[in-house]
Amino acid sequence: MVEIERVSKSFYKTVKDRTTEVQALSNVNFSVHANEFLSIIGPSGCGKTTLLKMIDGLIPYDSGKISIGGKQITAPGPDRAVVFQTFALLPWRTVLANVEFSLELRQINTRERTEIARDCLKRVGLGDFENHYPHELSGGMQQRAGLARALAVNPSILLMDEPFGAVDAQTRQLLQEELLELWQRERKTVIFITHSMDEAVYLSDRVVVMTPRPGRVAEVLEVPLARPRITEDVRRDPKFAELTNYIWHSLKKAMDNGHAGV
Amino acid sequence: MHSQFNINALSILSLAAVWEISGRLFDSVLIPPLTKIGAAWYKLLLGGKLLPNLAASLWTMIIGFVLAVLVGIVIGLLMGRFRAVEHFLDLYVNSLMSAPTTAFVPVLILWFGLGVQSRIAVVFLFAVFVVIINTMTGVKQVDNVLLEMARSFGAKEKETFLKIILPAAMPAIMAGVRLAMGRAVKGIVTAEMLLTLTGIGAMIMQYGSAFATDALFAVILTILIVAMIAMKLVQMLDRRLTGWKVEVAVE
Repeated sequence: MVEIERVSKSFYKTVKDRTTEVQALSNVNFSVHANEFLSIIGPSGCGKTTLLKMIDGLIPYDSGKISIGGKQITAPGPDRAVVFQTFALLPWRTVLANVEFSLELRQINTRERTEIARDCLKRVGLGDFENHYPHELSGGMQQRAGLARALAVNPSILLMDEPFGAVDAQTRQLLQEELLELWQRERKTVIFITHSMDEAVYLSDRVVVMTPRPGRVAEVLEVPLARPRITEDVRRDPKFAELTNYIWHSLKKAMDNGHAGV
Repeated sequence: MHSQFNINALSILSLAAVWEISGRLFDSVLIPPLTKIGAAWYKLLLGGKLLPNLAASLWTMIIGFVLAVLVGIVIGLLMGRFRAVEHFLDLYVNSLMSAPTTAFVPVLILWFGLGVQSRIAVVFLFAVFVVIINTMTGVKQVDNVLLEMARSFGAKEKETFLKIILPAAMPAIMAGVRLAMGRAVKGIVTAEMLLTLTGIGAMIMQYGSAFATDALFAVILTILIVAMIAMKLVQMLDRRLTGWKVEVAVE
């Protein structure tokens, strides 16, 4: 469904008048199947967020090709929606109005807008908070609003950029469970960036392990855990520990090869 | 809130007391006691001179102020959003921001004559640059993540401007408007004293040169009160427009 073929990307970084070229991604190759939950894991700075932004069409890539359903991506499109790490909610809008934002841009009339937004808030468990402002909500609830805003435009691909990285551990686990339930119901294609090995294994069908900068695909792993996954069972499953462990070693190897100091 | 109000009242009362006592102790022409100023003020009100002059001054000031706010916001938005516009204009804006605006009065007389246009122009020049600079700063400080989010959901430049940049920059814009209000008051009084003797400024010059200090102070007090009311009005507008920010600050 999503094809990433030999994609490379460099940035120019200027520090005190000295411009250096930094290669963020080098020859990245993998594909995402329809209705799949795919995680991308890698050390900080490996370019995974850059990759997600390129799939969204926010930034161009230097070489290679990213396509969805055979069509090359050049700009953001209605088939994709992003859930941002720092939520990216508009502080002057209520939760409801924040969710409506994505619909306003698609010229949907007011009544329908409110209806869809309310429905999405219910789906993420925020039905009673539509009139709250973001700063009145906890981090977990703010991210639920961010998810509702993405769901509102009914994308076929959900791009999630370390969405639970900014919330506490308990909330994180709760949000993971809720996301899985939602995914089980709606079966959207999800591309999920994370640096947590547990999270990647618990949620995904497949995990793409990336090397340190310049980011390359170290390996792509299948997660053979049965669905639907119940947290307690999954985390006690020996396969779960084995896989997380395997990813840890894979990451470590990638980091040693990339001789990045950690 | 309550205690702040009490301290304000205490401050005004003690100043009034010191003023009254020193006025009675020393020369009452240089420092007329408050009671005398009050009497002069009452006389000015009854004489029908104060209010029409005040109204004329206020009208001119409001026109200049509103123009400055509108023009300032538009230029500030463009400068904040587009690097080229910023580099094209920032030299002038920055130098005019700190230049003594009064120095331009002779030029303005040449351009606009001695009529009301000149006074409006002075108020405008006094007020416009703080609006420009604050608006520009506000636009530049808009969180990049919000801009990215808007673009990701398909916002075009106009929608990004109206739905993200303008509201996000509103607290900074309103800070500029507040400063501009104060400068507009200075501008109108300066214009009326230096350009053409009209309105409140003319009254200051007239009573000043006649050593009618009680009436002079009465006019000055009137200006202070008007300035305070104007600031309060801007503050109320600010609360309405950027209430979300105030709430955040309270937390």
